[in-house]
Amino acid sequence: MLRSVYVWILRLHPRRFRQRFAEEMLLIFDQVAGSAAGRLAEAALVGDGLASLLRQWTLRPEFRREAAVALPALPVTDGVPAFYTFGSFKPRPTALIHGLILSIAVLCAALLAIRYSWNHTVHLPFPIVDHEAYNSPEREIAVFPTTAEPTPYAAQSSAGRSHEVVRESGANRSIARHESLRLQVEHKLQPTEDGAEKKTIASGQPATAATRLRPSYGKPRDSWSNSLFLNRSGASQPQASPPKPQEATRAQAPASAVEDTKLDAAERQRVLDGAIANLRQYYFDREIAQETALALLAHETRGDDNAATDGEAFAGLLTKQMRDASHDLHLIMEYSRERLPEHPPESTSESVARYRTAMLQENCMFKKVEILPHNIGYMQLNFFADTSVCQSTATAAMASLNHADAIIFDLRDNPGGLENMVVLIASYLFDHPQYVYSPRESPTERSWTRSPVKGNRLADKPVYVLTSGSTWSGAEQFSYDLKMLKRATIVGETTRGGTHAGVFHRIDDHFGMGIPEVKPINPFGKADWEGTGVEPDVKVKAANALKVAQKLAESELRNK
Amino acid sequence: MKRAATEFVPLSTATLYILLSLAGEERHGYGIMLEVARQSEGQYKLGPGTLYDNLQKLIERRLVEPVGERAGDEDPRRRYYRISLLGKAVLSAEVERLEGVVREAKVRLQPAKPRRA
Repeated sequence: MLRSVYVWILRLHPRRFRQRFAEEMLLIFDQVAGSAAGRLAEAALVGDGLASLLRQWTLRPEFRREAAVALPALPVTDGVPAFYTFGSFKPRPTALIHGLILSIAVLCAALLAIRYSWNHTVHLPFPIVDHEAYNSPEREIAVFPTTAEPTPYAAQSSAGRSHEVVRESGANRSIARHESLRLQVEHKLQPTEDGAEKKTIASGQPATAATRLRPSYGKPRDSWSNSLFLNRSGASQPQASPPKPQEATRAQAPASAVEDTKLDAAERQRVLDGAIANLRQYYFDREIAQETALALLAHETRGDDNAATDGEAFAGLLTKQMRDASHDLHLIMEYSRERLPEHPPESTSESVARYRTAMLQENCMFKKVEILPHNIGYMQLNFFADTSVCQSTATAAMASLNHADAIIFDLRDNPGGLENMVVLIASYLFDHPQYVYSPRESPTERSWTRSPVKGNRLADKPVYVLTSGSTWSGAEQFSYDLKMLKRATIVGETTRGGTHAGVFHRIDDHFGMGIPEVKPINPFGKADWEGTGVEPDVKVKAANALKVAQKLAESELRNK
Repeated sequence: MKRAATEFVPLSTATLYILLSLAGEERHGYGIMLEVARQSEGQYKLGPGTLYDNLQKLIERRLVEPVGERAGDEDPRRRYYRISLLGKAVLSAEVERLEGVVREAKVRLQPAKPRRA
């Protein structure tokens, strides 16, 4: 306490005296205080300091007036705030310039580092979770197909054991279990960001029954994934069917369907023959199909396939061989440890009703529709549901954003869905019919947006699409087309990279392949997002995408 | 030098003691205080305010020179001072003056001897 008083007394001395002697006077104070002289001695020093203060200010004007050039400034190290002066010291001009350059360089480096960390995602390996552990139906919601569209979809849960599981709110009861999709192919699709994420697909019938590969609605961030399929042969029939008791039992015990995964030469030969036959029969370009088939045979003759003794490796090898020969990334060979069903699922009006109920309960997966600050519309859409069920919901959702000045579509948790919904939502973003590219089918009138939409005011508003590594399939189509048409700014991470353009053909109990049967007409160039994903315009971590998009929108609106 | 030195005398008590304490060797501020107390046998105690006020004057008048820190000192903040040649001359002049004072005093203070008639 007394020391602080003393320090402040020293501070109040004339500058020159202070600079010369304050530190030494404080040192003496410390030494006196440390010498067990007691409080009295300290108080005497404080009194001495006060006298000195009075003396210096009243009796020593000659020392105050002199310029402080005789001695350099002495740093004060007692921890009490003080003003330091350069005194007579003046840095050289070159030193100032060097300091300036160094400061600018450090500032630039810091800003670059901040910007880099803002724009780059650190991808951590995502552990593969055994989907067996996630068999709990409560964790899953699968989507049912509908009858109205010519391209109905079936859905299934992971590993195909208990797909189409929809939990009614609070009722601990699974609505349906789909037998025919019980068996699936599990494989590594495309190298994903962690290089190991798996997806499952299912098949319909044997070679004649084709099923289009589709991602399902599920929990895309989970390491297991679901699949949603289009059954071409059942064009006007939904694929879901109610479970039969014995089938349900089988479905709950998938392990029994898993067979030995070791491959022998006969199995390889059978798969190869099936692949070649399917290619020649279904691939849209006969010439390329022939070349690809010959390439497969050549690999087989050279013994390239002999090393593959397990199904997954063999399927991967054939996929690579087919893609190398055809340069078509939509060609894929699939392997399932579980036995593939021989028939495609049947659909019933009951399953359609369940799909409808499930979708409406989920508000057609329009998870959030709101107006953010600065009148920016925000829509979080977690699935592109069938318009036959969800058109009115979608229309209402878009109408509620109609007066927004900009719009943000959040597809970070969107694993895809139906093209009709993709096209429907895109319709609001144009003032003229716009072709929406799909790698899955030839252009039809359904490939064009229904623009202009009556009363719609969003056609010329800035659009932002938020993406993540989980954004997949139909959601990638939405992102890709809007990006290529320069209608939207994609903000977030590179998408997962799956077109599901191929139609699935069963080869045997464990192998099947996806074959594009129509030539995709890509007006933007050869490559779509298969295997590569859609690159965002603004690459940021998915978690930051909304914030960034909001800032972009705000600045765009300000500049208008 | 001697003529210049006489201009500074007589010295104040504090100045005298400070110069005297520095006459033998360089000292830091606290060392000067202790030495002054020792030389005066505790009769004259110098506070830091008085000490540095006088040191300021002595430095300005070039009787004392700051030496700065001394390498190896137990506290690197201590700054040492030494007496300059002028300071020594002034001190000598002061001592001479004091000797004269003492001499005179002794004469004056001796009891008067009875005169023989």
